[in-house]
Amino acid sequence: MKYAFYPGCVSKGAAPELYGATIEVCNRLGIELDTKTMEGASCTGSGVLQEKNEKLGDTLNARTFAMGENSGLPIMTICSTCQGVMSQAKSRMTDLEYREAVNTSLSDENLEYKGQAEPRHLLWIIIEDIGIEKFKEKIVKPLTGLKIAPFYGCYIVRPSDALGFDENPDRKHSLEMIIEAVGAEVADFPGKSACCGFPILTINEKNSMKMVSNHTLSAKKEGAVAMVTPCPLCHLNLDGYQPTASKQVGQPIDLPILHLPQLIGLALGIDPKILKLNQHIVNTKSVVSALALTP
Amino acid sequence: MFDFDVIVMGAGLAGMRAALAASQNGSKVAVITKVYPVRSHSNAAQGGINAALTDRGDNWEDHAFDTIKGSDYLADQDAVEVMAKEAGSEVINMEHMGAAFNRDDEGRLGVRAFGGQREARTFFVADFTGQALLHVLHEQVLSSGVQVFEEWFVTTLIMEEERCVGLVAMDMRTGELHVMRSKAVIIASGGVGRVFEPSTNALICTGDGIALAYRAGAGIMDMEMVQYHPTTLKNNGALMSEAARGEGAYLLNSEGERFMERYAPNMMELASRDVVSRSEQTEINEGRGIDGCVLLDARHLGEKLINERLLQIRQLGIDFAGKDMVTDPVPIRPGMHYIMGGIKTDIDGRTSVAGLYAAGETACVSVHGGNRLGANSLLDTLVFGRRSGEHASEWVKTQASASINDNHANVSLDEIQNLLDRDTGEMFGQIRLDLGQTMNNHLAVYRDQTGMEKAKSDLAGLKQRYSSVIVQDKNKIFNTNLIFTLELGFMLDCAETTIIGALERKESRGAHTRTDMPDRDDKNWLKHIVVTQVGGKSEVEYVPVNITKWQPQERKY
Amino acid sequence: MAATGKKILGNLQNMDVDLNIARFDPESDEKKPYRQEFNIEVDETSTVLDGLIKIREEVDGTLGLRCSCRSAICGSCAMRVNGQAVLACNTKISDLVSDENKSVNVEPIGNMKLIKDLIVEFDTHWQKIKAIEPWVKTDAPPPEAEYIASNESMMELIGVMGCIQCGACVSDCTVLAVDESFLGPAALAKAYRFLADPRDDANNQRLKDLNEPSGMWDCTRCMQCVEVCPKGVDPMGRIMKLRDFAMEAGYKNTTGARHAEVFSDIIKNNGVLNEFWLPVKTFGMFNIPEMLKLAPIGLKAMMRGKMPPIFYEKIPGSKNITKLFEKTKVL
Repeated sequence: MKYAFYPGCVSKGAAPELYGATIEVCNRLGIELDTKTMEGASCTGSGVLQEKNEKLGDTLNARTFAMGENSGLPIMTICSTCQGVMSQAKSRMTDLEYREAVNTSLSDENLEYKGQAEPRHLLWIIIEDIGIEKFKEKIVKPLTGLKIAPFYGCYIVRPSDALGFDENPDRKHSLEMIIEAVGAEVADFPGKSACCGFPILTINEKNSMKMVSNHTLSAKKEGAVAMVTPCPLCHLNLDGYQPTASKQVGQPIDLPILHLPQLIGLALGIDPKILKLNQHIVNTKSVVSALALTP
Repeated sequence: MFDFDVIVMGAGLAGMRAALAASQNGSKVAVITKVYPVRSHSNAAQGGINAALTDRGDNWEDHAFDTIKGSDYLADQDAVEVMAKEAGSEVINMEHMGAAFNRDDEGRLGVRAFGGQREARTFFVADFTGQALLHVLHEQVLSSGVQVFEEWFVTTLIMEEERCVGLVAMDMRTGELHVMRSKAVIIASGGVGRVFEPSTNALICTGDGIALAYRAGAGIMDMEMVQYHPTTLKNNGALMSEAARGEGAYLLNSEGERFMERYAPNMMELASRDVVSRSEQTEINEGRGIDGCVLLDARHLGEKLINERLLQIRQLGIDFAGKDMVTDPVPIRPGMHYIMGGIKTDIDGRTSVAGLYAAGETACVSVHGGNRLGANSLLDTLVFGRRSGEHASEWVKTQASASINDNHANVSLDEIQNLLDRDTGEMFGQIRLDLGQTMNNHLAVYRDQTGMEKAKSDLAGLKQRYSSVIVQDKNKIFNTNLIFTLELGFMLDCAETTIIGALERKESRGAHTRTDMPDRDDKNWLKHIVVTQVGGKSEVEYVPVNITKWQPQERKY
Repeated sequence: MAATGKKILGNLQNMDVDLNIARFDPESDEKKPYRQEFNIEVDETSTVLDGLIKIREEVDGTLGLRCSCRSAICGSCAMRVNGQAVLACNTKISDLVSDENKSVNVEPIGNMKLIKDLIVEFDTHWQKIKAIEPWVKTDAPPPEAEYIASNESMMELIGVMGCIQCGACVSDCTVLAVDESFLGPAALAKAYRFLADPRDDANNQRLKDLNEPSGMWDCTRCMQCVEVCPKGVDPMGRIMKLRDFAMEAGYKNTTGARHAEVFSDIIKNNGVLNEFWLPVKTFGMFNIPEMLKLAPIGLKAMMRGKMPPIFYEKIPGSKNITKLFEKTKVL
């Protein structure tokens, strides 16, 4: 299986550990990545650009979709926000009239979005294209005894009608499926599909930090030794700003936050250093050493 | 003790319109409502509001005649004239307040056709006109000085020397009873739907105001006129708006036939509601129904139109009947929907009790007579809501407050304490269900002497059971168990007036169709039946129908 | 009160389910919420509300809940079912249970003070609705007849006026969960209704007020309100439109507006985001207090190799992206 890899902005900027881990893990899983096709693809707009001009956001994404269609390869994303924004754009552009209007702007580049591109997150690709049973077969170091809390990121769970949940109901609990497939136990907590606070970080830091501390402490209460998220923006807040959140709530948190490929990478037996687990703001030593202790 | 110039009971369209009018005229106004105003049942009205706008070449007299014919000539023509004349300004007024009416290509108010009218004069907001108007009126109330007592339940009117001088209400949040003094009380508490099972009406439609007025000695009129709406869902009695037929939907029987051809060849599916309901019931009774229903077929209208104008009922069909009207016909049947009767009022909302007014579905002016046309109810609430508010507000300027005190709450306190103290007995639920089924069996579309007498004796039995009803919840805070039990008492009183009126009227007219007396008898029965409680007993009197321009004719569609 | 077992429907599959209900008795000594499970028989068309009414009428008359129309128009029966805010009257029990799981969890809606069982206080909600001044304001007296307005503009209003004030969006709003002062999705959507109304003249004042803290910019774009709204009002979409209106009207001096402008600017010129310049330009390089706050975080990031380059490379073909921005005249 080969995919046109769309890494998104953050994995090439503030979360390079995600990019590296993705390459490693896809390698091991037999997922071939074409990194050239999406080189000229723009940011999805992240919902912020859509605030200013929704149609422009759709145009940029249609451009990306068209590039994918031209390559003949399905598009793979590694960010909940990229996935959600793209899915919503796709949903709006099922209206032929609207899609045609968008396509007129792309004619200068000889690009045309034909409505076929189906960008999907690595999380879904594992469940749907590899299959959970085949995936389990590749696990060499099951994370037995480790409780991991899932944190989805809003954009990959809402709005459900744009994300294909009716046709693919497993997507609703995909992250829990992966956690169990790698041999770990799910630390279920109420905020797993709530907001991490990243979008309001610069606007209302107090609220943003409260969300971070609520979710991390709530996960810890359920016995989680780490949290895993398929969204690097969530990661930036939950990991990068965890010290700030901890200071605000007046309580230590110290909950390692893993990117999805890092969790998978550990179970595939990849060296934590290669997965750049030493490049987090919140120290991941505790989870790595817990893993070392597992049989 | 609370003190106001005017108290309005009910925060639906009529209530809020009355409150606004009274407040704008300088009165100190309170609205008492047992639910948040936007929960009022006005929000369930779907299809639209009628008005003859002269700048469209329409004519209020045509609207008046359609209404009077629709009423099977029982409507009081002076009242109908007032309503038809003032309709235009009420609609424009609502638009000015922000109602998002549908527009035509020139940006002017758009219309749709509706039942029983020869001209399309129904102004609408998609298919949720009632909700749309209710919320706009609520916005206006929020910006006014009207005080709204939300989730307060009225237990009794206070009478002093045959004048209504206030009421007693329970703050549901605390369970405390409060005496509220007022120079005038306007009852706008809606209809009696829950007296029948099933019904399109919300659970709050328990006839509270009608019963309270009845107990206070006001005349209650035409209660035998109960409208069965032609298109309701079997599952939960939910309403499928007449707007569907207004936009062109068909009614089909099990043979795929547009059966209205045989009953109303001119207006077909848009004949008057009682005519359509009777036709449907006949088809069902004669074996051409499917599971007790006929079919509403809107497929030929196309998805675009349905989404633009009938979206809410499309969703209702999907949610509650499992049928998407874009691709499937929806099974429907007649269901109890509206009470044309109510507290007798004049054209200014005055009842037979001094200081007591009524407006909206609660009242019987009468503009709907024996059968109400679709989209005339929203109009009724606004026109007579406003008129009651204006008149009451003027009248109270010449009135002194009565000297009453907190002891006036004692009767209610005792009643409630008795209910709560009882430990053995029946809960309200089964009594209410039995009442609903009896009324639906014997006072529905087709009635006869035996059936109605059975209902009468059933009612006596139900009242007996009610006298020993218990309330399981002994708490004060938000005791809905107590509220439902008190409401059941109101419902039994309303049922009594309906049965009395139905047995009294020895003809068929409008919604009151007797298989044993199938003809309309203008010679003997062109009159209203008014039931009044005097010294604990109910008395019947007749009031002639007011005729201005239109002599009764044979009613054909 | 259509108690389900009494419906005259015939031939429907009956099933036994457990309704696990969160209860609270404000008059008890302990005054603590507790759970109570009721096992009832329902059929395949029964809604959660049918089940609750059945319990209230046949099993336990003390169960408190609000409900009225049973057809999703009055907004009374909003409650959390299996953790998500819904209208109980249009939520089918058969959609929630399976052969393996016959239990349904019912709780009061969130972010509102509990009164009793499933009944919550709507006081704060109405306060916020009133705070946005929800009535049409006009500068001039109205015309004789109706205002002339396009059907399109009315259809736009109809979309947002479909709101029945049920409180589902308020219940599940992730910002209200951490900050009571936020105006919230319902009030903001209602505010949009007036800004989008061609007859309302108070746009400037409204935008000014909504631009304040706890207003339109405090929404975290989590889409919970969009997901749970039973009437398709799309509160978040309306809030995004409010932001668009505000920026168009020149209200560009909030952090939120600057953030959106800077974001767009970066994409326009580079094609992709640069997380170094985004916060710096949003706050403004000369905003010393904010730069001081960012510094330690930036430092930590740099030490972990997570700092994006200050002199960012444009992606290949970024000229085309710039052209697209210019075509749509965004900036």
